[in-house]
Amino acid sequence: MIGAFLSELLKLRRRGLLLGGGGLFLGFTALVTIIGIERASKTVSPEQRGFHVSIAELSQANGLVRGLDHAGPLMGIVMLGIFAAAFGSEYSTGMLRNLLVREPRRVQLLVGKFLALVVFGILVLVAAGVVSVVIAYALAPSKGIDTSAWSSATGLSDLWSTMWHLTLSSLGFGTLGAALAVIFRSSVIALGVGVGWVLPAEAILAALWSNGQYWLPGQLLENLASGGSAAVSLARTGLTLGVYGIVIAVATAYIFSRRDVAN
Amino acid sequence: MSPAPATSTSLAVRTTGLTKMYGQKTVVNGLALELPRGVISGFVGPNGAGKTTTLRMLLGLIRPSSGEGEVLGSSIAHPAEYLAKVGALIESPAFYPSMSGQRNLEILCALGRHDAHRVDQLLTQVGLGDRGGDRFKSYSLGMKQRLGIAAALLPDPELLVLDEPTNGLDPAGIREVRALLRTLADEGLTVVVSSHLLSEIQTICDHLVVIDDGMLRYQGSIDGLLGAQTAEVVAVPEHASDLTKLVEVCTAAGHSARIVEDGVRASAPADWAPELNRRAMAAGITLAGLAVNRGTLEDAFFAMTDDDSHAIRAHLSDPEVTP
Repeated sequence: MIGAFLSELLKLRRRGLLLGGGGLFLGFTALVTIIGIERASKTVSPEQRGFHVSIAELSQANGLVRGLDHAGPLMGIVMLGIFAAAFGSEYSTGMLRNLLVREPRRVQLLVGKFLALVVFGILVLVAAGVVSVVIAYALAPSKGIDTSAWSSATGLSDLWSTMWHLTLSSLGFGTLGAALAVIFRSSVIALGVGVGWVLPAEAILAALWSNGQYWLPGQLLENLASGGSAAVSLARTGLTLGVYGIVIAVATAYIFSRRDVAN
Repeated sequence: MSPAPATSTSLAVRTTGLTKMYGQKTVVNGLALELPRGVISGFVGPNGAGKTTTLRMLLGLIRPSSGEGEVLGSSIAHPAEYLAKVGALIESPAFYPSMSGQRNLEILCALGRHDAHRVDQLLTQVGLGDRGGDRFKSYSLGMKQRLGIAAALLPDPELLVLDEPTNGLDPAGIREVRALLRTLADEGLTVVVSSHLLSEIQTICDHLVVIDDGMLRYQGSIDGLLGAQTAEVVAVPEHASDLTKLVEVCTAAGHSARIVEDGVRASAPADWAPELNRRAMAAGITLAGLAVNRGTLEDAFFAMTDDDSHAIRAHLSDPEVTP
């Protein structure tokens, strides 16, 4: 497993992925943070709610993480794509047969690769958090936002908990991408099915099914990113996603270890 | 006298009843392979014969539907027990296209926990020393093939499995690969080479396996196969008027013969040629030419794999031949 982990880290160190996947992640986070602060105004009417936040709200202890909060769902989608591409490319390039000759213990190969991607994901998320915080501090004075509460104990706690939930949520999306790539043996199909399910399909299901927010994985992952909601507690969200995670992990490992590699 | 049975220790690969089915289609049918250690074994068969499927089963990439096998003394049901000692290039060389050849090897090196110093050494050995830093997708087919061979050699293997290793190589590259394989075999490495280039197999291999329709047609030494074919003695009389008489001389000796252009072709062992010369002289025929056409691997291969002609099997007395 250590070999699989180290080899995947070597693979992830390539410039294209760092500039593409990582850059997309950081750029998007920076963009959302900039827009969130630049569009802040003294008052926000109910119709403007959504991406508009008042200066008073941004001056609160959790004002620092507003940008990250908004970036959460799309960070998950990007992570789904990164994981799906990492696993799917082994099939499309035919490299999987080389990997399996060097590491025939398939579950260990799968777990080692996955853990390397988790480490990569955490590093990218931390970097995104740092970018968001730096930008927020840099732009706040120009909009008259008081940042003193951001560095208070509550502010730092909010930052930590937002980063923690965002990381778990994004890695959940990533896990979904990895599982789909193994099942479909293609990053393109995995990405299409994953994004198609999480965005339009779940949105329609959630609109038609009142209990959808309790069971639909995409809805639950978004709920996890935002730290839970009044309707679905964080504990329930975590428990349900945990069960989904175990089922997906077992199914994926079973499929990966049993299926012939004939391409 | 039948040959002594091969023991597991003298064999690099042994399979019994190895079968692979996809739905109702049988791709590999009851293969009983015995590949000796320390030699270069050629694995030949027409397209779709089941060569690559067999190699994939030996490498743990595909599960057999039935049957069993051993590679380097370990069961193919547990490939982790032997693959650390096996290097393989299966089908076309497959690597991450946007990464350099060197980085691709480093990744495989890290995965197999091999000595990282071997990467540079192997790149030089296969002639990619100055191109190792270039992206894989910029390589020619021959360079990709060389990188695939380098990857197969990474674990310093005891058994090397190469599927079409000279594919895409220029004549100089083919000669280099041939020399490399011979050197490796001389050092005690067991090499299994799958190829559709029969002349290539005949040149570099000591041992031969022929499969067709997923079934074993022949396994044994190449010399044994070629020796089992009836040679052709070609005699050219000084005068064309003696052609018919020369045919009679051959048939009188029990060998079928026919006139082809200005000579007579007799199906007879190669060592009958001097006897033909004596008999022709006794019959008053002066021979202007006498030659022996030994069968080639290609002749034997097509005789075995051509549905309309299985004549070679009737001539083979080798007990290893599967009827």
